[in-house]
Formats: sequence, structure tokens, C-alpha cells
Amino acid sequence: MSRSIRAITAVVAGLLLVTSCNSAANSGSSGKAGSGAVRGVTDDSVRVGGIVSMTTSTGYSKKDTDLGAKARFNRANAEGGVGGRTIDYLGAEDDGQDPAKNLAAARKLVQQDEVFAIAPMSSTTFSGADFLQQQKVPTFGWGTLPSFCGPSYIYGFGGCMVPTPGGTISQTWPEGLKKVMGGSDGKSVAILANDSDAGTFAIRTYKQSFLSAGYEVTYAKAAVPAGSVPSDWSAYTKEILRSDGGKAPDAVVSVMQTPYNIGLFTAVKRTGYRGVLSDPTDYDPALLAKDATAQALDGVHVLTQFQPFEQDSADMRRFRADIRKAAGKDVQLNMHMMTGYMSADLFLAIARKAGRNLTAGSFQKAAKGFSDTGTLVGDRAEPKGQKESFGCGALVQLKDGTYVVSAPFTCYSPIPFT
Amino acid sequence: MSDLLGFVLSGLVSGALYALLASGLVLSYSASGLFNFAHGATAYLCALTFYELHSGFGWPAVPTALLLVCVVAPGLGWCLDRLMFRKLARVGETAQIVATIGLLVALPALGLWTVELLEDAGAPVTPAENQFGLPGVGPSPAASWHLTDGVGIDSDQLITWVVTAVVAVGLWVLMRHTPLGLRLRAAVDNRSLVELRGMSADRLSSVAWMVSSGLAGLAGVLATPLLGLSAHDFTLFLFVSATAAVLGRFASVPLAFAGGLGLGVLQNLVAGYASFAERITGFRTAVPFLILFAGLLVLTRRQRTAGTATADAPPVDHLAGRSWARRWGPWTVAAVLLAVALYTVTTPFWSGIIAQGLAISLVFVSFTVVTGLGAMVSLAQATFVTAAALVAGLLMSHGWPFAAAAAVGTCAAAVLGALVALPALRLGGRSLALATLALAFLADQVLFQMGWLRNGDTGWAIPRPVLGPLDLSDDRAMGLAMIVLVAVAVASLSALRDSPSGRAMLAVRSAPAAAMASGVSVVRTKLTLFTLSAGLAGFGGVMYASYSTRITATDFTAMTGLVWLAVVVAAGVRRPQYAVVAGLVFAVMPHVMADYVTESAHLPVILFGLAGLALGHDPDGYCAALPTRLHRRRTAAEPHGTAPEPPVPRQAPSEDAALQLRGVRAGYDGAPVLHGVDLAVRPGEILALLGPNGAGKSTLCRVAAGLLPPLSGQVYAAGRDLTRERAVGRARAGVLLAPEGRGIFPALTIEENLALHLRARGDRDAVYDRFAALAARRGVAAGSLSGGEQQLLALAPLLQRPPAVLIADEPSLGLAPRVVDEVFHLLVELRSAGTALLLVEEKAAEVLEVADTVAYLSQGRVTWCGPRAEVEADRLTEAYLGIGASGAGRHDDAPGDPGGRPQEVRRP
Repeated sequence: MSRSIRAITAVVAGLLLVTSCNSAANSGSSGKAGSGAVRGVTDDSVRVGGIVSMTTSTGYSKKDTDLGAKARFNRANAEGGVGGRTIDYLGAEDDGQDPAKNLAAARKLVQQDEVFAIAPMSSTTFSGADFLQQQKVPTFGWGTLPSFCGPSYIYGFGGCMVPTPGGTISQTWPEGLKKVMGGSDGKSVAILANDSDAGTFAIRTYKQSFLSAGYEVTYAKAAVPAGSVPSDWSAYTKEILRSDGGKAPDAVVSVMQTPYNIGLFTAVKRTGYRGVLSDPTDYDPALLAKDATAQALDGVHVLTQFQPFEQDSADMRRFRADIRKAAGKDVQLNMHMMTGYMSADLFLAIARKAGRNLTAGSFQKAAKGFSDTGTLVGDRAEPKGQKESFGCGALVQLKDGTYVVSAPFTCYSPIPFT
Repeated sequence: MSDLLGFVLSGLVSGALYALLASGLVLSYSASGLFNFAHGATAYLCALTFYELHSGFGWPAVPTALLLVCVVAPGLGWCLDRLMFRKLARVGETAQIVATIGLLVALPALGLWTVELLEDAGAPVTPAENQFGLPGVGPSPAASWHLTDGVGIDSDQLITWVVTAVVAVGLWVLMRHTPLGLRLRAAVDNRSLVELRGMSADRLSSVAWMVSSGLAGLAGVLATPLLGLSAHDFTLFLFVSATAAVLGRFASVPLAFAGGLGLGVLQNLVAGYASFAERITGFRTAVPFLILFAGLLVLTRRQRTAGTATADAPPVDHLAGRSWARRWGPWTVAAVLLAVALYTVTTPFWSGIIAQGLAISLVFVSFTVVTGLGAMVSLAQATFVTAAALVAGLLMSHGWPFAAAAAVGTCAAAVLGALVALPALRLGGRSLALATLALAFLADQVLFQMGWLRNGDTGWAIPRPVLGPLDLSDDRAMGLAMIVLVAVAVASLSALRDSPSGRAMLAVRSAPAAAMASGVSVVRTKLTLFTLSAGLAGFGGVMYASYSTRITATDFTAMTGLVWLAVVVAAGVRRPQYAVVAGLVFAVMPHVMADYVTESAHLPVILFGLAGLALGHDPDGYCAALPTRLHRRRTAAEPHGTAPEPPVPRQAPSEDAALQLRGVRAGYDGAPVLHGVDLAVRPGEILALLGPNGAGKSTLCRVAAGLLPPLSGQVYAAGRDLTRERAVGRARAGVLLAPEGRGIFPALTIEENLALHLRARGDRDAVYDRFAALAARRGVAAGSLSGGEQQLLALAPLLQRPPAVLIADEPSLGLAPRVVDEVFHLLVELRSAGTALLLVEEKAAEVLEVADTVAYLSQGRVTWCGPRAEVEADRLTEAYLGIGASGAGRHDDAPGDPGGRPQEVRRP
């Protein structure tokens, strides 16, 4: 047998493999048979998938998002589904924080699994956004990426959380801190971020946000190396703690991730600083389990954009019960569960409004002018949420090993971003 | 002032970790000549294990740490050495770099997968994700002390300093004051000579890898409180510590150690006082990589001409000279079938995946230019991809048409490629790889942080182009267009390869000095290659971005480039069509795995990393390995063109010969050199082997010493069959080779050189008594001696403890006549001591004075052998002119000599 014949045989075998993949894919799909059929919607079910970054090389995982969504969909199904249809939740694809995998996951869910909608989508990258928009797939997730701001099919569970110039900035953080510090008059704030474009942008927005809330911003720099956590913070603490005319500012605000905050706050506290410390990322009860983190973050006021788990309300009790049921045991709550839960919740709320005749068109129509109040993320409204955040938040303070609410969950009106 | 003190003190913490990692890097590099990109991953694995055992299983901290650092990590190093590194030490630098990149991703995945499995099995492990503020060996939270105003230390820092200091002293004692350390340093200096002296370089390599892994494990355990459980951060940390290894020139552990400490301090000082660069977003983040890049430029010694890895011998092209249809037929058919399949059988999902695979193929093909044609390892390809796509996107947002934007983007990438190439050109091999990696990180952290270029996290939309009637927003049309583009790229690169400029490029690759002598500009050629490759990568990037319809600055990071290179080299980097296979496999494989094999995201990564194991066997990748192996099997099955040489009957060896070769045939990968050589040397006899260049004299020496296994025939020493023994075994059986050039360890002192052979102090003193010149300079590095003194140093210890057999390959090469006399005098003295000498010599007149027996070697056969007295002048002439054997001219023996010389032996 000559080499070329062998090569052709190999190619044919390869093609057969691809074909078999196709047939496997075809046999797995249904619901697109009739001409008027809607992708993922049958008489008695709606198929929904999710995209979540679970395995990553940085050790940061959002995998509990999947559990949160499952808990919310389970309850919906237990209550009889939406518009007479149960939710067929396929679980979340793992995109591993990889843009290529994110797009592939979106394509797989739409083209192979033929889902009607994607909820939740929570990752650090969202390269599947354009594809989902083009394929008219309603998608719900954590609106910390620009793709949640603008495209008509993509919804953030708390609204769009990336301010754009010409849009608005949420005032939850400075307003919440006012409650902690007794107003902003004569109070000074130092803001620190990572040395990257995102950090620079964060400095720009929060500087404006705190200034317009009446604070004096004495330090606002994107100075901390973003590559890996510095072993030494003295270079930054010295500058910050002398920024208010040689004195320490009244509050030190960090817009960085947990490992950085641990280092920064530990260093600041070791100098004897007695002012207010605050950051927007460290609301994770799992952090209390370790002495080092509990000590580093003790006293820190953390911003949350949903109702804190410590706040007692009917919705929160139901959230706890749903999560426990879905997990099959008592688990520690975290914000990823909330992300999944509320992404699913927003989808369900809009789908309920769309009613029995569920198509991409009817869903979008229902979303236009959708609004409700008093949820775990505050007062929701679309399409307003595709331009700005719902503007609600709370501050919790870590005190002696537990979180206590230091500024209760409230909605504030945003300011224009210039 | 207290600021400065604080910066220095706390800089020493990361400095200590850098020092530990860098020392390990240097050790493992010197043991097997490969830069271990996976060193940080080893550290991560130990950090993860420590965390699980300590926090999950509740084991006490200090014993767990000791167990990891002294047992587990060295065990891992030993396994990896046995399974991979030993084999990799013998293949080209590209395969080495790539194999360890595979490990870099596989080891963390292996750890996480194990945790996953243990969790399923009900073991008390704790999840490895989202863990912060992890306990180290000290108290958690760390106790802290205030020294002076603003200067404080905590217990974790203190532990790191103390442990590092202890390790530094321990390493120094091990390397400088133990026989093991001496042998390790000897192996670093000259690996093959170590084997020739009867020490197993493999075993030394194992020891070095064990120590190296232990150091990585120690760094991992100590860094746990600082870095947490981020494999990514550990790897970044490793890249930074590579600067310290560069400072130690990959050879000196103390220098690397000091370099690591200094690096930590320097980094802290720059971070502390870098307010001048506040307006440059990303500058402080990039400081470690600026230092790495600058360090590489300043410190790398210029060893070879401009960045070529000469160890990469190209595989035999068995299709050379075949018809076009034979070479390209299968590929054409495959392309056509793929195109047809897109429009017939594949579902939309798979059409999309194939289009994606083809788009990334275009990027992958760029590796075959810079690495395949140019033998330069570029880890910055992802940078070119991002740059081109961002520029194209920026222009399209201003209303430019796709084609124009793509063209400008491609040019931008090409310009960037030239800029990267310019400073990097004077570096070679791993230094070039590291420099391009540093530049890739710099681009990620500074260039792509510029707001006007990246447009925040939104990036730029790159809608798919519409070419006349062909709307590429359909995945099938996109796939078809990509097939055409990829085919054009492959065809033009193959045409380039066969053109005069392509030949110039290959010439630069294999012998830069010779290429320069032939009027080929090495710098211009390399610059062209880099530019071309960057442009191609950029164009591929624009196409890939248009497949995704968007580009953001974080889509392709420096780490992505690392993984890409590994994927391409695993498939084969020498031919563009192999890169296309790599691209398709890269896109299709994960989905096939997920559908049919496992849902776990870790297993595919582990399997991918283990492709490095395969590179040890097939350094040219799996695409090349398959046909090459088939071809080899076919040629092995077919009878040779000439009549097969009759097998030599296996008789009992002669009793009185100290060394006997019988029917030895040997050669190099398809080029036979020796065709059945019979020789015997008796104790107390000097046999002089004469012959023209290329006759196979050095090859014969290598076979006799065990450096080259014979294809058939036997080698006996004192009646014992040593054919299967390698150099170490032969040396232990008393058969020593004094290789061509100087058989010494140049970086070791005279005393240390002697101590390797003469353990007893008295023996060494006896040598000094006899050679006063050596005695006076016993603390001097042997490399600084004159050529004659070096040869004396090589032979002197043998006089003290004479071996049974000494094979001397041109001992008088390059020596002054007076020294030559002295050397021959020593050889005669050895003969009187009973040593059997096999002497290869070009200086026939001198050698005839001392030889007892003379053998002529011509075209791989002994044409005459007899006592010196019977040597006739005209026979001698014939032997030298190579006209004695038969009427046949010299045709098939030429490859023997250039390839046959032991390349590892350094020439002064």
C-alpha cells in the first residue's frame, strides 16, 4: 500500500470520525424539527445552559455559580415551571477563564445542545457575547464585563456594572460608607488599584464617585503591580498614610482582588492605622475559616451588590433553603451562588412575563419595560439594566470572625459619568 | 533611610524565594542542559500538597514540610528525570523547551485532578480554589515585630530568611566539600568526560534533579502564605527568578543564589521609587520582566552566532526527490475532503470548530518560520497576534474596510516582530526564548494596557469580511476561505524553503559561521525570519479575531503563546502542513475528549502535557514521527542494495588481549562508517591506528570507549564481553578514552581534576611531586592552563593509577613539538606500567617511534595490521592518502568525521 493511499485512508477515517461526531450531535438534539419550532423550547420544557469558569490556573473559581442557578431552577420547577414549561437546566460549561473556550462553550450550548437561553454566564471573559447576541440567545450573568452593557440579548443580574463615559456611576459605595463614617463632610479617602488599564479605569470612576459624594480624595493611584501579589507593601502604605497633608486619610479604599487586599490591609494595620478600610470583593464567608484572612480582614467594610446573607428577609431565608436543598447538605453561602441564583431568577421573571408563547421575540418584548422591586438585588428594570447597574448595595463589616451589616441594603440614585 | 532599609529587608523575602528557585534551575540545567519551565509548577505542586496535607488532613506543619521537601519533591524530580529529562538531554533545544512547557501545565492539573479524585473518594481534602491567606510552616496569622519606624518583619519572612540561609550554607558545603558535589560540578562542566571517567552522568543527573526539585518544593512551601494556590503566580515567579539563573550564567549556583537575593531587593526598590513612571500604566507591573530582559541582554555571554540551536539535527527527508503528487497529493486530497465535508456532513457546531482550527493554524504556521526554518524559539507569537488584531480592530472602528485593516494590522505585527528580533538576535537558544517571553509579558503589561489601543475590556469588533458573493459570516464559508488561505500559506512557505533565500535560511540555521563565510548575512536572515513570522502570526490573528468577531487585549496572553508553541512542536515544527494538523487537533480534540472520554477539564491538560514524554523519543513531533518510523521500518525490512555483510561467527575472545574489537560495524543514522573492524591490543603494547581523515578513526575510538554502540560485532576487555556496556561501564572495567582535545574539566581546579581520579591524598601528592608546574598552581582553574599543561593534567593521574586500556584520540593535537615529546614519553611510561594503548595519531613519524603495532584504517576497514618493523614508507603514504584499500573512491565515509567527533568535548 503506497503512502498516499494510506494517507487518504487516514483522512477518510478522520472524516468518518467527524461525521460520527455530527451524528452524535444530531441524535442528541431535538426540537428543531418543525418549521415554527423555537430553539430549546418544547410544549413542556425550556432548555437552559450555563457558562462558568470553574477550573483556572489562578486558583480563582466561580463554580458555585452553577449550584446557585440549579437551586433557583429547582424551585421554579417545584412551583410548576414557567408558562406551563419546566426548566431543563443542563448545568454549566466550564470555560476555564479562557476566551477561546468561552466562545466554544457558547457555540456548543447553542448549536449542539440547542438551548433557549443561557443563565448563568459568569466568567472573567465573555468572548461568546457577540455570537450569542447574533444567535438571539437571552443570556444572564454577572454584569462586570462590558458585554453586559449594550447588547440587547445580554442581561446582568444586577444590571450593567461597567460604567461607560456618558453613562452613570453607581453611588452605593460612597453612600454606604457615609453611613459607616457619619457623613462625608471633611472626610478624606485614599483609593488604591492595580497598575493596569482596568485599575486606571477603576481609579477614574471611583475618584469621581467619592468626590461627588462629598469626600476629599487625597490619594487615587493605580500603583500596585498586577502580575503577582507584592511581598512588601511598605512602598504603598507610606505614601497612602501621608497623603492627607502628612496625616493618614480617614478611609483607605481598595479596588483590588482578595490576595492583594489581605496584603494591603495587613500592612496598613501593622502601622497602627485606625481609620476605615473598605473593598468591594471580600464578601466571602469562607474567608472567615482561616485565621490569617479573618485577622487581615477584621474590621474591613466590604461592599456587596446584593442583600447580605446576614440580613434577615423572606427572600434570603428562601435562598438559604433552596441552596441547602440543591446541595443536599449545609454549605457555606457565597456570592457565586447568589450570582447563579439571581441570574436564573431574572431569566425566570422575564420568561414568566413572556408567558406561554415563548420565543426569542416574545421574550425580548417582555424584557422591554420589565420591572420589579424588592428582590435580593433591589429594584430591577430593563432595558435600564443594560445601561447601568440597579444601584443597590450594602456594606458588611467583618467583626470578631463574623460579618455584620454596617450599611443596610439600599438603592441609591446614580450620578452621570463624565 | 528607614524607607530604604524597609525596602531592602522585605525585598530579601521574595529575593530568598527567587534564590531558591534560581539555584534549582541552575542545578537542573547543568545536570541535563535543559531549562526547566516547569520548575514553578513543581513548587506549586508542593504548595498544593502541603496545603492539603496540613489544612485538609490536619498533619502538623513542620514534619509535613520536611516530608515534602526531603522526600516527595526529590521523588518527583527523580521520576521526571527517569521518565523525561534524561531522554530530552539528548534531543534538540526546542523539544526540551517544549517538553517542560507541557509539564508546566500538566503538573498543576495533575495535582488538582488528584484532589478532585480524593474528594470523590471521601478523603478529607479541602477545595483548592478561592483559598487565601494560607498557613505556612510558621504561626498563622503570622506574628509580627516592629523594628524601627516603618520597618517591621513577620514570622513568615523570618522563617524564609533563616531557612534560605541554612539552605545556602548546605548547598555550598554539598557542592564544594563533598565528593558528590565535586562530581556534580564535573558533570556540569563536561558531561561526556564524566562518563568516560567511569562516573554515571545519568545518576548524577538524577541527583541534581532531586536536589533541584527539593529546592522547588522548599520554595513552594515557603511561598504558600505569599502566593496562595495560584499555579499562574508560581510560574510568573519562576520566570522572574530565571533572571537570577541568567546572572549565574546557568552554571554557578552561588551566583544565581546571590542574584536571586539582589533581584528581590532591586525589584522592591524600583517599585518603591518608580513614581517617575506613574503615567505609564503597567510600568510597575512590568518591572520584573524589564529586569529579566535587561539581564538577558547584558549578561548572556555570546557563545554561538546569533541565536541558533545547533543541536537540532534535521531528520532524514525520505520523500526528498519524490514527485509532487507523492509529496503533496495526500495533503491536497485532505484539504479538498475537508472543504467538501464542510458543505455536506459537518453540523454547524463542527463547521465552526473546524473554521476556528484553521484560523489558529495560520498562527501556528508562523512557528514553522521562526522555529522550524530559523531554529529560534519565539514565545512572543501571541503578542504579534494581539497587536495585529487590535490595530485592525482600531482601524475598522474608524470605518476601514476589512482587507485594508488586516493589511495594516499584519504590517504592525511585522514591525513589532522586527523590534522584538533586533535586541534578541544576539541571544541564542533558551536565552532567546526567555527574552521573547519577557517581551511578551512587557507587551501584555504595558503596550496592551494603552487605552486607545485596547479600548478597555470591550476591545474592538472585527466583523467577518464579505468577499463579493462570499459572506464569511457563515461558518462554512469562513472554513472554506480559511482552507484556501492556509493552503496558500503552506504552499508559499514550502516554495520559500526550496528557494535560494530558503536555502540561505537553512544554512544559517545549521552553520551560521559557514553561512556568513558564504556571504549570507546572518543578521538579515534572522531579522527576515522574525519579521515574516510575526507578520504571518499577525495575519492569522486578524483572521482568528474575525472568526470570534471581536478582539480584546486579554484574549491571547504571553502564557497562551507558550501553550501554542508546545502544541505546534508536539505535532512537528519543521513543515507548515504539520502546523495545520496541530491547529485542527488543538481545536477539535478538547471537544472530542469531552464528548467521548471525560468531563474533567484536568485530564486533557495532563495528556497534553505528557506529549513531552513523546518528544523524548520523537523530537520532531508526531506528524513527522509516523511517516519516518514507517519509512525506517520499511528500509529495515528491505535488504540492502549490496550483498549483506556476512555475519562474523562468534568465537571466544583471545585471552591475552586487553582490548579486542571483533567484526565491529558502526555508523550514524543511516551513514555507515565502520564495516567490520577487527583489532586487538595486548597489555604493555602500543597500537597506533593510522588512516586518512574520514577513515573512521574517531568513530572507532568512540565505539571502543562505549560512546557509540556498534551495529554489530563485539568489544572485549581482558576476555570479558563489554559490547553492551556504555562508557561508564567500560571505564569501570578499565577501558579509558582520552578524547580528542583535552580530557579535563576546565572549570574545576587542578586539585579537583586530580581528585576525581585520585581519591587518596597521597596519590595526588605523588603527582605534584612529579609535575612541579601543576603543584605550584593547584588552586587554579584547569581551563586557564596552556594546552600542553592541560594534556599533562589529563594524563598525570593515569600514571599514578594506570588503567588496563587507554584509548588516546590524537593526544598531540595542537601541541608544541617539545610538549608532544613529553606526552609521548608519558604514553611510553604507561606502556611500561602494563597499560594497553590504542593510539590514534596524525603525527605518523613520532608515533612510529613509540608504537609496537601499527594498523591502517581506510574506509572503515583495517587494511593492514602488523608490527612496526614491517611498516613500509609507501604503505604509510597510501594509508594517509587513502588510496590503498581498493579502487573505489571515497564516497560513503565522509559523514563519519564531522558527525563523529564527540561534540560535547570542549576545545580550548
